Parts: sequence; C-alpha cells; structure tokens
Amino acid sequence: MMVFLLFLPALIIFALSFVRDVRAYKPLALSAFLILIPTVALLPVAKPYRLLGDYLVADALDVYVLLVSSIVGIGVALASMTLHKHVAISHAAYRRFYRFFALFWIGLILSILSNHMGLYWIGLELATLSTVYMIKTNRTAAAHKEAWNYMIVGAIAVSLILFGIILIYASAKPILGEEAMRFDLLILHARDIDASYLFEIGFAIATIGLFIKMGFFPMNLWLANIERASFYPVAALFSGILESAVMIGFFRFSKIAMQIDYDHLFGFIFIYTILTIFIVSFLIFRSKDFMRLFSLSGVEHMALIALFWVSGGSFAALLHFGAHAFLKPALFLSTGVLESQGKYKIAGALRGYSGKRGALFWFLVSLFLLALISLPPSPLFFSELYGFGAMIDTAKSSHHLLAMLGAIFLLLLLLSVIFYKFVELYQAMKYEGASHEKQVYAGELIALVLFACALMALLLPASLRYLRGVAL
Amino acid sequence: MVDFLMGLFLASLIVALFTTRLYRLLNWYAFNSMTLGLLALLIGTRLDDDAMLITGALTILLKAGVIPLFLKSISRRFRFIRQIQPEIKVHYAIILVPAILVFTFYLSEPITHMITHNSNYVAISISSLFLSLLLMMEHKNIAPKIIGFLSMENALFLLGITATDGMPMLVELGIFFDLLMAIVVINLLFHREQEEGA
Repeated sequence: MMVFLLFLPALIIFALSFVRDVRAYKPLALSAFLILIPTVALLPVAKPYRLLGDYLVADALDVYVLLVSSIVGIGVALASMTLHKHVAISHAAYRRFYRFFALFWIGLILSILSNHMGLYWIGLELATLSTVYMIKTNRTAAAHKEAWNYMIVGAIAVSLILFGIILIYASAKPILGEEAMRFDLLILHARDIDASYLFEIGFAIATIGLFIKMGFFPMNLWLANIERASFYPVAALFSGILESAVMIGFFRFSKIAMQIDYDHLFGFIFIYTILTIFIVSFLIFRSKDFMRLFSLSGVEHMALIALFWVSGGSFAALLHFGAHAFLKPALFLSTGVLESQGKYKIAGALRGYSGKRGALFWFLVSLFLLALISLPPSPLFFSELYGFGAMIDTAKSSHHLLAMLGAIFLLLLLLSVIFYKFVELYQAMKYEGASHEKQVYAGELIALVLFACALMALLLPASLRYLRGVAL
Repeated sequence: MVDFLMGLFLASLIVALFTTRLYRLLNWYAFNSMTLGLLALLIGTRLDDDAMLITGALTILLKAGVIPLFLKSISRRFRFIRQIQPEIKVHYAIILVPAILVFTFYLSEPITHMITHNSNYVAISISSLFLSLLLMMEHKNIAPKIIGFLSMENALFLLGITATDGMPMLVELGIFFDLLMAIVVINLLFHREQEEGA
C-alpha cells in the first residue's frame, strides 16, 4: 500500500499529462503534493521499514533523502505551472515535460528506496533515459545537441556504475550468494569479504560513474552545458532530485568501503574531490551566465558533501546535502525570472521588481544567493564548520594532520574565490545595469517560499536532532 | 571453446575500432554479440543455470539480430553518413589498443587470485569496457557512438556472466529492459530531429 502511495503522485502526473484540456494543468502540478502523505507517514515508523520485501527498504537515511527530494519535486511541479510565461513552449511539449518528469520521479524514488544494487541501477537508468526527453522539450539546436550529449555521457556514467556493481557483487557472492546485491547485508558483512581488491576496483569504477553523473572531474562542464540548454525546471530537478539519488548511492557504497579499507577510500575521495573543487572554482570565476554558474556551484557543493561524508562528518554532509537540495532548485527556478531581459544579462537582474510579489521575489533570491556562499545563518555555514571540524578530527587520528590542515587551507582559498564571484555577481545584479520591469508569477513564488520555509525548518533544533539521529 | 569465443569477442571489438564503414561496424557488433550469446549459453550449460541460458538466447536474438537490423534500418531512413573515419589515427590506435590490454591485465592481476574460475575473463571484460569507451571517443558521428555504447553493454554482460557466474535474473532482465528503452529513446530522438528538420 505504502509503495503504491509513493508512486501514486507520479502516476497521476503521468496519466494527466495525456489530457489535452488546459484545465488539467492545475491538478497536474498540484497532485505532486500527494507525495507528502507517504513520506511523512514513513518518518515515525520503526526503521528499517520493509516496503517491498528485501527490495525496497526504508531506513532513516532513505526517508530523509526522500523527504528532501519530495519537497523539491513539489516545488518544481508548482514552478513549472508558469514556465510557459517565461519560455516559448507548446502545449504538447509542456505535457511531454510533465510526462517524462513523472517517469524520472518514479525512477528516482525507486533508486532512493532500493536496498538492492540492481534495482538502484535500474531506477537511475530509467531517470537518465527520461531526462533525455525532458532536455529535448526545449526545441532548439543547442538542446537537441545536449540531449544527445546527455544520452551518450549519461549512458557511459550509468554503465560504469553497473560495471562497479557487478564487481562488488562478484566480490561478495562467495559469502552472500545471490543476496550479495543487498545493501544492508553488504554493510553487515563487509569485513568478511575476502576479495577486497575486487571490491575496491568495483567501488572505484562505480564511484567514478556516480561522480561523472554529478559533473565531477573530468566532466565539469558537461552538466553545466546541458542545464544551460534545457528549460529551468530540468536543471532544478537535476540539482534537487537526481543528485539526491546519486548521492545516496555514494553514501551506501562508501559505507561498505569504509569497513573494507578506510584509508584507501579516504585517499581516493579526498584527491578526487579536491581536484574537482580546484577546477570548478576557477570555472565558476569565469562563468558568465546564471545557469552555468549555479550548475558549477552544484558540483562544488556535491564534492564538499562527498568529502565531509568520508571524513566522518556524516551529520555535516547530510545538513549540507539538505540545504543545497533546497537552495539550488530555488535558484534555478528563479533564473526564469532573472533572465527576463536575456540570457547573459546579469547586471540589473535583481532590479525592476514592483509590488509585494516583486519585493518578496528579490528578497528571497538575495537570501538564497547569500545562503549559497555560506553566509551565516545559512545551514551551509554550519555544515561547513562541522565538516571541516570532522576533517581535522580524522587527521588527528592519523599521521597527516599537517597535510590535512594544508588541504583545508587550500579548500578555504578556493571557496573564497567562489565567494568573491558570488558577491560580485550579487552587487552587479542589485546595483548595476538598467532597471527593466520584470514579472513574477504566483507559481514560482510559491515554490520559492516553500524552499525558504524548508531551509528554515532545517535549522530548527528538532530537525538538527533528527539529522543527528540519521547520521548515526 | 570458452577461450576461443572469448578471443573472438575481444578480436571483433578490436577490429570494430578500426572499421571505417558503418554497416561493417554493425556487422562486427552483431558478431561480437553473437560470441557473447554463445559464451553465455556455454557457461550457462556448464553451470546448469537456466537464467543464463535464457539471457544468452535473448542476447543472440536481440543484440545479434534485432538491434543491428533495426539500426541498419534507421540509418537508411535517416540517411546516416556511412563513411565513419575515426578521429584517432590508425597508427596511434594501434599503440593504444595493446596499451589498454596490458594495463587492464596488470590492473586485474590481483583479481585472478580471488576468483577461482574464469579469472582472466574479468581482465578481458574490463579491457572491453575501455575499448568500447575508445570506440565512442574516436568517432564524431552519432551512429558509431551508439554502437560504442551498445558494446559497453556487451562488456558489462560479459563481466556479469564470467565474474559472478551469472547475475540475478531480475538484474539481467532490468538491463535488457533498459537497453530496449535506450534504443526506443534513440529512435525517438532521430524522429524528432527529422520532424524538426521538416
């Protein structure tokens, strides 16, 4: 029953997307709210909760990620109601967008809740293939090229993940048999795996696949170009839901890898993420439009989350993850309004808003922009403090304290480059350029308010307590 | 016999890398899939694994028959460029291919002590993965890139049957389903392209 309720909103959206009547558009978007019923119902139940045998099992981490991605799903569905007012989109393309959004959502709910590596992969692949179509909703030559690009590179990434999964399965099959596909059993019996080298090769290949999917080194500009070419909600879905599902995969795989050889895992992720942030920070510094800037900033935050997670700062990683999942879709969705005067017009983008709606819009966007660069009281500020603290704690127990301090110093230097770029951007948006009147519509404003509320709720003591419980 | 088929699998992939004509590339892909299907049937019979026999038969039917024919038909319908010149020159590719093989065998050396049988095949699967990636990288046209992606699926399947003695049926069917979905999406993408061009 619970499984049915979880997939119901996506199924309703899928069914309604075939109705040609314009009156169906509102229920199409509003039905996304139904996801809250099963998600909230899952919060108090004893974990792990078996939704479908051993295949779909909800533990505390799954439910948290599901809750975050559900709020993002609702926000994107709401904001998409007014998409046609910002971009040229036909009715057929609009319905097609929702149809593939529903398929994408089904795939990712499956991935988030799966306790089975194979199912996790199937969900991710389903989402990848449906995304190709969401990108293609924008009928421009650039979107067409990027849809192909996504098809090819996305398929490579997903194939690498499957390759890694097969090797992990092969390493654990001698002790677990066919049950070696289950995440819970793998975590439980990780220390019994004899073929640790095989596991590590599998983990490395799967992780590279996951990282490529999030735009890590060496595919830094891949995702940014795709998000630039597609409509705004697609980018919001990428940063809010797709990256959540990819990240939970990384969390699960690394939980097993931590027990096999922590030093190998830490060294691998440490070098990979710092290299990614190094390149991304300069790409951010040079970016000239909102979409690429936000997309690259997403890569930076995902790298930080991965780094905090393997450093033992799971609370920091989860807080950072939640805050980023609310902030980034909000910014991507507001780009539709910010770019009213053209794609590359940053100067004056935060000017020209009138009335209460306009004032609320520019206030919220300013809030999100400043929160993204971790200005207190942004949750990202606290998560970074906790995260860097966890990195130092990890280094204390090893012989590499100086190297770690050096790495943190380098990271802070790179983050300050990004900080500078965002402050400069904000000043240009607010105080430079001509003031042209821009329209803000109810759909996107409600979505932004929803994201702002979710962000504030994340800082409540009860939420932090809950997160600490999840991080255990 | 398994060794012989494994050799043919790898050889057909290497030859595909040097092919400059689309139809010939499709034929090599079909041949590559055929050897893979036969391998699955052979190993499945040896292990008495019904699931592997079914997937082996499906591989021959779909990957060696339906998919190449389908790709040939869409290449005719959408008038693909059939002369596909690799971007990487032949004399560099000739050095790259053995380098990839040596590297993967070196990488997989410790694995050979961990898996009791079919141990060398893991190295061949990983090298096939890299060779398929090379196939995708060395072409600018979309059609050989698709075949590179399909060859990558073959490498995955080979790893599944050799390293794990067969994946669970659910996963194998899921992979087939996704492969078919991918083909449908590719077909739809081309259709849209034609619609937009019209």
